Amino acid sequence: MIRFADVSIKLGDFSLKNVNLEIKEGEFFTILGPTGTGKTVILELIAGLYRPDAGKIFINGADAENIPPERRKIGFVYQDYALFPHLNVYKNIAFGPQLGKIPSPIIKERVKDLADMLGIAHLLERFPGTLSGGEQQRVSLARAFIMKPRILLLDEPFGALDPNTKRMLCRELKKMYLQYQCTVIHVTHDFSEAGMLADRIGIILEGRVRQVGGSREVFENPLDQKVASFLGAEPLKTVFAG
Amino acid sequence: MKKNWWQDKFNLFMVAVAFFTFLFMTAAVGTLMIKGLPQIGKALAAPEIQFAIRLSLYTSLISTAFCIVIAIPVAYVLARVDIPMKSLFNTLLDLPLALPPVVSGLCLLIIFGTTAFGAWLEGIGLPFVFTVKGIIMAQIFVNIPFMIRVMKSTILSVNPRLEFIARTLGCTPAQAFWKITLPLSKNGIIAGIVTTWARALGEFGAALMLAGATRFRTETLPISLFLNMSTGDLEGAMAAANLLIIISIISLYIFNKFGGDFIGGTRGV
Ligand SMILES: Nc1ncnc2c1ncn2[C@@H]1O[C@H](COP(=O)(O)OP(=O)(O)OP(=O)(O)O)[C@@H](O)[C@H]1O
Ligand SMILES: [Mg+2]
Repeated sequence: MIRFADVSIKLGDFSLKNVNLEIKEGEFFTILGPTGTGKTVILELIAGLYRPDAGKIFINGADAENIPPERRKIGFVYQDYALFPHLNVYKNIAFGPQLGKIPSPIIKERVKDLADMLGIAHLLERFPGTLSGGEQQRVSLARAFIMKPRILLLDEPFGALDPNTKRMLCRELKKMYLQYQCTVIHVTHDFSEAGMLADRIGIILEGRVRQVGGSREVFENPLDQKVASFLGAEPLKTVFAG
Repeated sequence: MKKNWWQDKFNLFMVAVAFFTFLFMTAAVGTLMIKGLPQIGKALAAPEIQFAIRLSLYTSLISTAFCIVIAIPVAYVLARVDIPMKSLFNTLLDLPLALPPVVSGLCLLIIFGTTAFGAWLEGIGLPFVFTVKGIIMAQIFVNIPFMIRVMKSTILSVNPRLEFIARTLGCTPAQAFWKITLPLSKNGIIAGIVTTWARALGEFGAALMLAGATRFRTETLPISLFLNMSTGDLEGAMAAANLLIIISIISLYIFNKFGGDFIGGTRGV
């Protein structure tokens, strides 16, 4: 469980104001909002890149302030994938396990399993710079998944993909989510993606959380005019058609 | 039709200035090389030049090693850590870069030669005044701001999110630095080492002030050039100069090869 209690942070000209949010254990939670409203910043707060200026973040009841990123058991898939450019795909995926005392045959096996599952087994020797966006995205997913995180943060994971690949990966992701049973916080500005994946949706506009609710509920009953006009950009029918 | 550059008076003028600048620089360096290079074999056989080469290599390698070891942490702080008064530190650290080397050398001479601190150092076996250790100290003092600058811009060019991702995968801050930031700074480190080394080889003013110019004692290549000049031995001076030119050209080449393309993204936090 993740709880934001009145969290505020100021970064340059941008500020996130008084965020209150509760994400349940095992939930697939989608943060929806236009560009530049602080979606990535929220994920980075959860993962521990920043400390809130005010308010507190709780992860499973514990004040996150005292937990460094490396002990939060959080997997992070960045918007731009953030693969390590000097390591090949295998070493990117194996990076986390190799830090510990896990014997390398076991790591090898786990990398292979994940790579098979994500369809990137043929890319293990390649370097990130030579991969397509979709391939990088899968490597980034594998790198996060291999740690068996309790919380998975996905920052616009399908941003760079064509609609068909996106739909396919969405389905795969949902399958993996059900298999691994972690909490997923997923950021997007794509309504159909949100409709397809989310248990609950949080709408964030201009650094504030405006509405949180079940995915149908949010689309059917926007809380106020601002939410409505943001969601109104796309009619309801198309969201649940797929 | 598009006009050629020589048909436009303005461009013609600019190109002419560029051309003569280039011509003069090439001519100046070229003349020295043409006159000096034929004698370089003979010069290399002279024990004095051999001593100077050895001393230059010895001092410059040691000072470069110190520079890199000191510059990396300092650059990391300037690039990544939020400390108060950072811009003041930036300016202070750049100061030796702006000072004439003889002034830097005098600063060092005063602190090591006239203070209790200097006397204490001498007592524990670290005399810097008129010694080889002084040459190394002078090279470090003059070059370290340069190395810090190169390392700072290198570290800044590494996407800090990569370090952060490494943290989420289980790295401590130190591990993230060793496994991500440092390897991604490789090209900058190489470029920095090569240029610092070349500058150390050529260091004259500060070393002269602190370590003096004594034949077969504190005689590096540039000091040798100076000593030979002052005794009217033009050939010996030109031999030392040509060695320095060759080293400079090689280092320039290596710097251009590695300095230009630092890997790693630039999206800054
Ligand atoms: N470290 C920082 N320093 C200064 N400003 C920052 C920093 N991090 C983020 N910002 C700013 O905060 C705002 C919100 O950024 P954020 O990355 O969270 O947006 P986003 O909602 O994820 O947008 P997008 O959908 O385009 O990814 C932006 O204006 C961004 O420039
Ligand atoms: Mg974002």
